[in-house]
Amino acid sequence: MPVPHTDSASGNSMPATSSPTPQKTPARTQTSPLHAIALLFERQPGLASVLCLLLVCVLTFSLCAPSFLSVTNLLTILRQNAAAFISATAMTLVITTGGIDLSIGAVAAFSGITMAVLATFWHLPPAFALAGALLAGTVAGTANGLLITRVGMAPFIVTLATMSVFRGLSLLIAQGYSLPLPENAPLLEWPGRGWIGPVPVPALIMLACVAAGSITLHRTRFGRYITGIGSNQEGVRRTGVNVRRISLTVYALSGLAAALSGILMTGRLGSASSNIGVGFELDVIAAVVLGGTSLTGGYGTVIGSALGILTLACLKNGLILAHVSPFLTQIFTGLITIGAIWINMSLKGRDLFGIRKNGDDN
Amino acid sequence: MTSQPPAVEMRGITRRFGAIQPLRGVTLTLGRGEVLGLLGDNGAGKSTLTKILSGALAPSGGEILIDGQPRHFTSPRDAQDAGVHMVYQDLSLCGTIDVAGNLFMGREPTRRVLGIPLLDTETMHSRAAEMLQGLGVVIRDTHARVESLSGGQRQAIAIARAAAFSPRVLILDEPTAALAVMEVEAVLSLITKLRDQGVTIILITHRLQDLFHVCDRIAVIRNGVVAAERHIGETSIGELVDLIVGERFHARSAH
Repeated sequence: MPVPHTDSASGNSMPATSSPTPQKTPARTQTSPLHAIALLFERQPGLASVLCLLLVCVLTFSLCAPSFLSVTNLLTILRQNAAAFISATAMTLVITTGGIDLSIGAVAAFSGITMAVLATFWHLPPAFALAGALLAGTVAGTANGLLITRVGMAPFIVTLATMSVFRGLSLLIAQGYSLPLPENAPLLEWPGRGWIGPVPVPALIMLACVAAGSITLHRTRFGRYITGIGSNQEGVRRTGVNVRRISLTVYALSGLAAALSGILMTGRLGSASSNIGVGFELDVIAAVVLGGTSLTGGYGTVIGSALGILTLACLKNGLILAHVSPFLTQIFTGLITIGAIWINMSLKGRDLFGIRKNGDDN
Repeated sequence: MTSQPPAVEMRGITRRFGAIQPLRGVTLTLGRGEVLGLLGDNGAGKSTLTKILSGALAPSGGEILIDGQPRHFTSPRDAQDAGVHMVYQDLSLCGTIDVAGNLFMGREPTRRVLGIPLLDTETMHSRAAEMLQGLGVVIRDTHARVESLSGGQRQAIAIARAAAFSPRVLILDEPTAALAVMEVEAVLSLITKLRDQGVTIILITHRLQDLFHVCDRIAVIRNGVVAAERHIGETSIGELVDLIVGERFHARSAH
């Protein structure tokens, strides 16, 4: 039978709450570049590892293919991948809540088809067709969100099913054909292939989305709750946050971003195909994970995801410029993804087999 | 100060789940700044009682008065508005968010930049450091992620978060379970500090020796009623164990 005050015998010198194990706290006063890099590796291992990979890719390809670093080529990379950057931004928010959205490729196609139907067959003004496409994507995303937050179904299953539904709807509406965009409506193609001076419009849209997404995730209460939901949904709910509404908004945003991606892809092609974006979701998810976002939720950075897309894009582009067989690209993409996650895990203080280290070695 | 109403008054609280009735009429009164140890075996009804007091469950019958005012809680938010806060055993913290972010979860200060309300992280970190210091909690860096902290530090953060709402009543569910010995001491001194600030505290624990450090009074729940109340000076661990386990124990020893 324990007696009162047994604890004080062994812990008699604790006047106030204090940590028995000293925290390793980096000094905040130092600001040398080397220290900043060290801090980046310690605080943001995911970001640091994808940045390393990107630098390796850029260095390798600039040596193998002289045209790689040309302004034209770099702008081409941005133009070709603008849609992926936009969807990766939204996907980062979704994955940070602990969810997933597999339907974005199908929603992109559905939105493109909607735009073509509204403009070509319903003869609506281009601005209405664009708005209609964005609305279609948002409605699709909201449907995902309602099934997930209200019915309580698993995000993977819901979006796998709606992926099938929206791809099927696109094919049904277009009867398997590509739908032409009207000749007299350059506004519909402008987001995907326009230029403002020397800068491609899709690159500008993409930059705006990445910046907005990054600020949203890291600097607003909404973004803070996104991270919180991925970390401990019930805990966030108990502090009075409407977690269902936050999750629903995230899926709606993912649908909106998919629609914008679809508009860009459709504009680049000049016609709406029901087959655009097949496998798009997997490329985007790979890039998000490559960028250090945790697939189990609770941690994510939009910048990391953008760097992930950029790395995979540079890899594809560089391998082509270096005259490597295009069949090798996919293999490299997969291996690089595995490598990046491997580096990320070891930087997080776990060893290569996922077991936590004691912290004394690297 | 006899005219001052009690901080918490529960009158004949009952709760029924279908055929099961975990609470059969609990009547309990707590004075301002009193620390009450709430004891009971698993299934005795103490978690149902605290859920009702913290607004997570509605009672089937009975009355709750906070500072003499009758209250009907339909959500944890209602209870919080009346000054009743609960720190759950799982702490409800977000491991991947830093200390300051957890302390301000759900009520982050913002400042407008170009009309957009952005998190005011500077204010959050400076006020978090003040809050922790005021409670005597030593956490060197409010930028540290909660998952990197010890169990005692996490418990201290969870209590500090509830304390930041200036609660009248604080319910702590097993705050010292699974803590190292030194950390238990730290959490108990934090409870004492809050009591000195006039907070009424209900402490649920299975570590009976802790009760003797901080509690003024003990209430034992058994079979959905308050089976016994004791002032801390008038009881012993042995008696408390008998009270928790109940008559079966006495009956057997009487034979």
